[in-house]
Amino acid sequence: MKNYILKNNTLIIFILLLFVSSILSDSFLTITNISNLLRQVAPIGLVSIGMFLVILTGGIDLSVGSILAFIGVVFALLSYEVYYPVALLLSIIFGILCGVISGYLVAYQYIASFIATLAMMTIVRGGGFLLSKGAPITVGEHSSSILTLANGTFLGIPYSAIILFVSFGIVYVLLKYHVYGRKVIALGSNEEAVRLSGINVKQIKMSVYVLAALLTTIAALLMVGRTGVGTPNVGVGMELDAIAAVVIGGASLSGGKGTVFHTLLGVFILGMIGNIMNLLDVTSYLQQLIKGVIIILAVIFQKR
Amino acid sequence: MLKLTNVYKSYGGVKALQGVDLEVKGGEIHALLGENGAGKSTLMKVISGAIAYDSGNISFINKEVKTNNPHISKELGISIIYQEFSLIPDLTVAENIFFGNNTYKWIKWEQLYKEARELIQSLGFDIDVRKITSELSIAQQQIVEIAKALSKSIKLLILDEPSAVLGSEEIKKLFTLLKKLKEKGIGIIYISHHLEELIELTDQVTILKDGKTIGTVRTADVNKDILISMMVGRELNQLYPVKNPTFKFDNPIEIKGFNSKHFNSPLNFKVYKGEILGIGGLVGSSRTEILQSLFGNFPIDEGTIEVDNTSFKPTNISSMLTRGWGMVQEDRKALGGVLERSIKENISLANLKKVSNRYGFINPNKEKLVLDELITRLKIKMGNAEDNLSSLSGGNQQKVILAKWLNRELRVLLIDEPTRGVDVGARYEIYQILQNLAYSGVYIIMVSSDMEELLGISDRIMIMKSGTISGILERKNFSEESLLRMAIGAN
Repeated sequence: MKNYILKNNTLIIFILLLFVSSILSDSFLTITNISNLLRQVAPIGLVSIGMFLVILTGGIDLSVGSILAFIGVVFALLSYEVYYPVALLLSIIFGILCGVISGYLVAYQYIASFIATLAMMTIVRGGGFLLSKGAPITVGEHSSSILTLANGTFLGIPYSAIILFVSFGIVYVLLKYHVYGRKVIALGSNEEAVRLSGINVKQIKMSVYVLAALLTTIAALLMVGRTGVGTPNVGVGMELDAIAAVVIGGASLSGGKGTVFHTLLGVFILGMIGNIMNLLDVTSYLQQLIKGVIIILAVIFQKR
Repeated sequence: MLKLTNVYKSYGGVKALQGVDLEVKGGEIHALLGENGAGKSTLMKVISGAIAYDSGNISFINKEVKTNNPHISKELGISIIYQEFSLIPDLTVAENIFFGNNTYKWIKWEQLYKEARELIQSLGFDIDVRKITSELSIAQQQIVEIAKALSKSIKLLILDEPSAVLGSEEIKKLFTLLKKLKEKGIGIIYISHHLEELIELTDQVTILKDGKTIGTVRTADVNKDILISMMVGRELNQLYPVKNPTFKFDNPIEIKGFNSKHFNSPLNFKVYKGEILGIGGLVGSSRTEILQSLFGNFPIDEGTIEVDNTSFKPTNISSMLTRGWGMVQEDRKALGGVLERSIKENISLANLKKVSNRYGFINPNKEKLVLDELITRLKIKMGNAEDNLSSLSGGNQQKVILAKWLNRELRVLLIDEPTRGVDVGARYEIYQILQNLAYSGVYIIMVSSDMEELLGISDRIMIMKSGTISGILERKNFSEESLLRMAIGAN
């Protein structure tokens, strides 16, 4: 029993929170609110899944927030120049490119991930501001279908939530049933032993940054779609929220531990805290404070 | 001055010291001699207080030292210089010398440099005390280490293999220095494998074996032969699989002209199909480096491997894997296994292709089949294949690592310290596995510090001494004495 609680403490926190929230506010368990919540957590959820992959290998990616803003701007600018699918494709390519650079610096140039992605964070943020000249850019007309993509629903479920769950599913399967996942997890646990088993650890290491950037790019496109604007200053501090979600999910920053399911729970725990406090009209300053306290409590709880 | 009586120390089940007696007088240079694993390092750590002893008695200047820690031993005036230096690489020489020496509240830099310079000069050396320590040669760092020890008033100085990193000129200077210290009444414990050095320098020799004191003799009364015979002298027990005397070894793999920064001269040797080639030698004689070079992990400058009329140079691990080579690493925790992942994942790690389809998805049934076969074959004792590797005993962990390599089409097995941290029962099983593999046609090259093991399981033993092959022993000529002679370099 005790073991069971320890193993599933993230799940227990999640359920507890769900329970408490529905008592605290009548409007919490309404379809509108749940759908709203799902839409809200989708981008940070995608980013957190990417962050989890990086953290699983013992690294960290600080550039995700900047990539999110940058791709938003890139897409908005492209929407005036090219057709919608081309704009999407090019945005994704740009996003992946960011990940390739970070991954290359970490895996092949042996720069500590904290430093490499810190540099990327500023570079990409600066790039976004340069391209947009510091102002938000409204998405052009031929690409307005992105609004439908980000705001539409299927059987009442927001598309963005479906994208989040599908991405989660793919990563879950990769980690559990695919050779790639085996390698990523083992690498995070003991890189040298994996290397000496003849596995190309550099490639694997680089790949997680690429995946993180790809997931962040998808999140960026959802964000642009939701607002119809590419804004160069969104996503500031988002990397920290993502790290918080991963840590609440029980992953270890030194790598090799945690599951993507628990990361997703971490995302929802953070999302619900924000959501319920909004419903209860708690001021955003107090929200931040409470969020921080809850992160600490969750992690202490896991240590037991 | 220092007196140890009947000192015992165990690490878990491993008995490192089993009744050590040692007496060192002031104004004497006392040698401590013993083969790898005889307990010298443990003994040093006990004396310096780095680890606690289990039972026995230690007294220093007629006072019993009941509880010991590095701080107390420092206060007592015991100073130890380990093989791995304790200097802080990014500080200057002068800062290192006076580190932990809280004479001043504020640093007076000029005075610090002056005193450091004088100290180094008084030892007969010339080192720029303003230099950053990591920029010094290893030999110079050794001198700084000694200067640091002497910056405090000390009564007993312990040196662990100090000459290993020094050139002959520097060794001479070191000896002069040590003799000077001896005249001042300081007691010195000198650990070394170099018998010539011991005979030249020391007054007394204590020989350790299997954690016990074999005896203490006056250096003047003995010669190399006597010392060697005191270091050996043990019967081999029936721990080893029986060799088939009629087995024909053939089709050798030839290693030609292997050279890199790890070796002092190019290596040339052969290993035959069916044999277990043991590699022996003292710590630091580049035994492991041979295996790492063969495995493609340490790049070599020149040299080739010839097998079946083809020749190639090992350049990277994955190409060696494709050729059917595998290596069981010495350090199981850091390099061998992924301890916090499952037994299953560890066994599949080196051959994930075998258990997955062409899209890379793992077939759990296939994986279980492969796993069960290896687990039965190697008699791995475990609860569940999903348990972490760390949940197993050392012996079973080692078997899992072996299973990882046997999971591939293995042609050559390189194995470094096959039974380190493995209990006696599992040892025999591992020897049996290795012997069966050899007779089934897998080439085996094994490095071991355990002399008994080398003699017990090898068909031939190649002995290394400071980066060169010092000789190869045939099984019919095996004896601990000849092995030791070659390793130490005394003929």
